Amino acid sequence: MKIIIETPLPDEEDTVVIRCASPDQQLINMIYAYQTEKTEITGYRNDKITRLSYQDVYYFEATDNRVYAYCHSDVYEVKHKLYELEEIFSTFDFERCSKSMIVNLEKIEFLSPHFGGKLEAHLKNGEKIIISRRYVHNLKIKLDN
Amino acid sequence: MIKEFFTSLLHYFVNIITAVIIAVAVYLTISGQQIDSTMLWQILFSGFITALPSAILVCIDTKSGKVLLMLWLLHFLLIFGLTLVMLKLFGWCNITPVSTLITFGVVVFIYLFTSYVHYLVDRSHVALMNQKLKKRYFKAEYARELAEKAKKSDE
Repeated sequence: MKIIIETPLPDEEDTVVIRCASPDQQLINMIYAYQTEKTEITGYRNDKITRLSYQDVYYFEATDNRVYAYCHSDVYEVKHKLYELEEIFSTFDFERCSKSMIVNLEKIEFLSPHFGGKLEAHLKNGEKIIISRRYVHNLKIKLDN
Repeated sequence: MIKEFFTSLLHYFVNIITAVIIAVAVYLTISGQQIDSTMLWQILFSGFITALPSAILVCIDTKSGKVLLMLWLLHFLLIFGLTLVMLKLFGWCNITPVSTLITFGVVVFIYLFTSYVHYLVDRSHVALMNQKLKKRYFKAEYARELAEKAKKSDE
């Protein structure tokens, strides 16, 4: 993608023009991210603090009253509740896939059927997570949009 | 949750009844027996009773593979037990080691049949979802691939 930055005339307002054939999901996410600004959260790992972009996170999981962000190969603890993360990243392609998990749809390589109407999501980092039957319907709706 | 339960109940009921009708048709053809309307209602009732634990099972949300396996085993034993009880209750046959073994075979057939039908339905849904998923991120991936190729050619 080519990025051109032009200086506006003195009396002109700053404007962002996006020229593309048709906006794809990532572009829409970027526009939302630009508008809402809240695209990063703080991750804690081994006494180190890291800023995590939504694009780095594969999925969030709540275990033992703690919430973790699973990235490509690293895991960070985040100081947010799962429902808060759901709200923060509601404009992006994050979807609840079980009572304790939220998955980044962008990181799903493909889906496969599992026992009892559940689905298995094969992530781009090789991990597999289960999508509960209860949340399969919502996922279908999200993919239709 | 309630909607999910009733949808599952209906799905399992239809699948079980279809498999039972196939099993009964094969049995009647081989034995040369006839059935009356009472038995048809009994078959429908038994289909409903065996669909109940199936619908309850799919509503249980567990992440553990071990627990899931245990639940399915328990479910199978429950279905088998219920079938034996109904055989006795409706007087379809006497409970002997041979009839128990045949019932076991029939339950395994119905179990495999319904599981396979569910798998086929899920597979077609998943294929559609994968298509949508691919389409959704195709352009993003394509752009990324192009950027990587350009980077490599620059090097």
